[in-house]
Amino acid sequence: MSTEASKEPVVREAPRQQLVGRRRLLLRIPVHADRTFRRRRWPWSKTSVVSVSGRFNPKTLGRERFVSHKAPLWWLVFLVLTLAIPLIAGTDKILTIASTFTIYASINLMWMLIMGTAGIFSLASLAVTGVAAYTACWMTINWSLPWPLMFPVGAVAGLLVGVIIAIPARRMDGMYYALLTLGVSEICRAYALQARWIGAQSQGSLSGGGGFIPDDIRFTATGQRIGYIAGFLLLLAALATYRLVNGQRLGLLLRASQKEDEAVSESMGIDFQRARLAVFLISSAALGVIGAFYAGYFRAASLSLFGTDLLLLLFAMIVIGGIGRAEGAVVGTLVVTVIDRYFIDTGAKRILLVAILMLISVLFTRGGAFGLKDQWQELRAKRRSSRRAARSTRRGQVLPEEAPDIHDKSLIYQRRYDHAQREHLKALINDDLMEEHRRSPTGLHSENLERVMLYFRKNDLAGKYCVYAIEPFKRYRIVALSGLPGVPPRTIDDRVYTTIDDAYHAVFLRRVNDLRSR
Amino acid sequence: MTLLEIKGLSAGYGPLRVLHDLDMTLESGERVGLVGLNGHGKSTLLQAIVGLTGWQSGSILLDGNEIGGRRMHGAGRTTPKIVRKGVALAPQGDAIFPGLTVRQNLDSGAFSARAWRERRKRREGILEIFPPLAKLLDQSVGTLSGGERRMVSLGRAFMGDPRIFLVDEPSLGLAPIISRAVIEALGKIDIGDGAMIIAEQDLGLIHGRVDRMLGMHAGELKQDIGDALMVGHPEQAPTLASEIEL
Amino acid sequence: MDWFVVTSALSLAAMYGLLGIGISLTWSSIGMLNLAHGFTFAAAGYGAWWASKNLVKAPTSGTDALIVGGAGILIGVIGGLCVGLIAFLPLHDRPNFPIRSLIATLAISLAGTQVFLLWFGPLNKPLPKVFSPVARALDRPKLEFGPISITWDRVGAIVCATLLCVIVLTWVRLSRRGIQMRAMMQNPEGAALVGVSVRSTGMLVMGICGGMAGLSAVLLSSTFFVSPSAGTQPLAKGLVIALLGGLGSVPGAVIASVLVGFTEALTAKYFGTGYTLFAQYVLVFGVLIVRPRGIGGLLAQVRE
Repeated sequence: MSTEASKEPVVREAPRQQLVGRRRLLLRIPVHADRTFRRRRWPWSKTSVVSVSGRFNPKTLGRERFVSHKAPLWWLVFLVLTLAIPLIAGTDKILTIASTFTIYASINLMWMLIMGTAGIFSLASLAVTGVAAYTACWMTINWSLPWPLMFPVGAVAGLLVGVIIAIPARRMDGMYYALLTLGVSEICRAYALQARWIGAQSQGSLSGGGGFIPDDIRFTATGQRIGYIAGFLLLLAALATYRLVNGQRLGLLLRASQKEDEAVSESMGIDFQRARLAVFLISSAALGVIGAFYAGYFRAASLSLFGTDLLLLLFAMIVIGGIGRAEGAVVGTLVVTVIDRYFIDTGAKRILLVAILMLISVLFTRGGAFGLKDQWQELRAKRRSSRRAARSTRRGQVLPEEAPDIHDKSLIYQRRYDHAQREHLKALINDDLMEEHRRSPTGLHSENLERVMLYFRKNDLAGKYCVYAIEPFKRYRIVALSGLPGVPPRTIDDRVYTTIDDAYHAVFLRRVNDLRSR
Repeated sequence: MTLLEIKGLSAGYGPLRVLHDLDMTLESGERVGLVGLNGHGKSTLLQAIVGLTGWQSGSILLDGNEIGGRRMHGAGRTTPKIVRKGVALAPQGDAIFPGLTVRQNLDSGAFSARAWRERRKRREGILEIFPPLAKLLDQSVGTLSGGERRMVSLGRAFMGDPRIFLVDEPSLGLAPIISRAVIEALGKIDIGDGAMIIAEQDLGLIHGRVDRMLGMHAGELKQDIGDALMVGHPEQAPTLASEIEL
Repeated sequence: MDWFVVTSALSLAAMYGLLGIGISLTWSSIGMLNLAHGFTFAAAGYGAWWASKNLVKAPTSGTDALIVGGAGILIGVIGGLCVGLIAFLPLHDRPNFPIRSLIATLAISLAGTQVFLLWFGPLNKPLPKVFSPVARALDRPKLEFGPISITWDRVGAIVCATLLCVIVLTWVRLSRRGIQMRAMMQNPEGAALVGVSVRSTGMLVMGICGGMAGLSAVLLSSTFFVSPSAGTQPLAKGLVIALLGGLGSVPGAVIASVLVGFTEALTAKYFGTGYTLFAQYVLVFGVLIVRPRGIGGLLAQVRE
């Protein structure tokens, strides 16, 4: 028999491995079981300082923790750098650019609340800021308003303009409204240019107003530093407002009911229009405060606030950064402000660069620079799943998409092995086999029958058929075990068997039927 | 002569695969009925022939020229080209143009220059097949009833003088009398050396009006089930696809 | 009756109407709001100026005027096709198409302004008056009958613009391509099934609207100068017309252009030209508050 061993070993090509899922880089912190439930929280609240999750690692057989949301850490680094770098560098140019950046970033954050969270495509945000700036500046000139009061004045002015603009928003379709708000800037611009009582000087700008940086040190390094720190505080306030509105109740309400499903959410009791209006008004008031800050910082209100150039530039910032995420607004603003102000000597070429970046961002990305990662992963997943669906012949046990999420990989292999075994056994079962079992359920069996019966015996207890003796040697029934302690087995049918061999065969038949139907 | 030859066609939408390695041929001059339950792939097969599925692979040969083929995404990009080669589909939702009149809807089907020149003659031909449309020519399509809309959709597909005419569930949503009228009208259309595939759920409607019947189940095609129906009780041929054991 | 104001209003209506109807047509057939129309306008103006510098010599004869005008229209068509290539073709089957194409057209107009600035410099370029040959041929400086006296520029603008509008709109209503264009917006799947390729029909629309913008540039530039940002004001006025007429309603846009022309002429006379856009926006605000769908909405109601 062993003389046949001279044939060559069969070399089978390993089937080509297809990659599934993606690698995730997680910083794992091994932790002693003692510390499993300890976490640091902000005082007097239930929010964790750093969002850490824990789980069991079946490979190292230990508990580990990892940071599940790394974004706050990145923000912290970014904010520290943003505060430190301009203060340390200290040159005139950098400090002015940095201050401008903080003002523009704050405007964009509030604008994103309107466009992203409330879903209102309004191009009048800069006009709101402008009106508030003009109001605050005018009041310090003509009514000698002390500078701390500029901010509430600005807020009120912004709120009023917001109310006026919000009225048509309800009645009008998105595109109409967008074009209409474009006209608000133009109306304000023409009015500021022509109206005498404002007292505007050349080119419609109002100057000589009050401000929070003392006039004598305004152009010195110290004055500029103070101005920048104030701007940084404004940016922090804007970020906090964005976080509070977008991340808390109002924002969640709005995101839960997208524009298309407005009717659905209204019928569920979410007052969608009211929430939208609330966000719009809050943002308008905030824009007013920013306008007052602008007037206080520059001690003037410039007509460029109503011009389309600045509006387009701000729009480019949020498009490049990505509408819908605070990171996008801030980083987009940073990139464009640096290009615009630092390279101001290159003239038209720098605006051309901004326009090209904007075009690339809108043509190729779905959420600006910060949506890129999600977009790339979505695209990859979609392509792979389509290709896999086109290629797969195995109606598998575990969909490949699920595999990376099942932490214990041996489960996957177990299912695959089980499936292969069942296919093999299905081929073995035929009428002869069943007849053989009927003749002698217990006793010596052929190899095939033995294999089948061993497989049945190895199965999970839950749902296993078993013979119940109602009256020993006289009456038997089939029941199915539940597998849970304390839960009685359930009856299958009413048939009563008079001999135990009949009952055994009936159990065998049922198990064969279950095997075939899987 | 083989007009359409489909080999190994698989198609689906995203991660969902609907058709599994289909093979089919269509001879010129024949009418074929495609029966099966909803969700088993009848519409997907017709859409795959014109290129409206999410993705497809396999080959579709029209007169020996490849019109299908491997496509991973972009539903509908190749459809205009395939339609201009002579394949017309009257889809399930009618897909007619709500802002245009009946006359304009029919005229929009005449997409080639020659068809446009002959459009009046062709329109009259269609009005002979679907007489109720004659009074409605200048009415806006949005005001028509379901049956009239179905007729506009079928008429529009026929204005381009297609070689292969695909009809997806002509009786969907229609009252029995009207759907019978529609199917009878379909039977009157002269397909010449072209071919017609009618996908239907209601067997009784197309029984006897088609030359061949194919069954569709779980994305797989079973050929020539017509005989299977005749075995047993020919007088009581099952009227629903669900009653056939496929 | 101040005929000067009336003729001025009508000629302005004609010239801005070309832009407004183009915007309305683009929106109603491919669903894209073309804010780069100002870029196309400015490009056509520069094309006409280049032709007038290099292809003809002053004083302009009849054929010279045609060359200049033709160059303007041709560059307008090319400009429209470029905008379609960049903003329409890549985006038309992607999600969020209306907003994304709006942003793309904004980016194109921003980039275009800078390119013109770099290439041609910031100074204004004059265009020759294209209708002066007519005046010379007939040996009359103005067209006069009765109390009415109109410059040939105004006459030419009204006649040419109206002619082009009538041709384009008839074509859209009656021709095969025109019906296909309208079908495309109403049901894209149905349009694909009747052999309409969204891509080629969309480019056709962009080309036609670009040509209309080109004619508008040639007509308007005889009065104004060509400069890198010459497109912004006419675009704003075209947008006002399209909004007022109801986005997508071409008859509404025609009526709206007359209204806007009158607003501009009257405002220029009594308040000065700086206030014209302001007045037009106030008009649009007023109408849209009462009728959110513009004049086209009014028309549709009347028809029903």
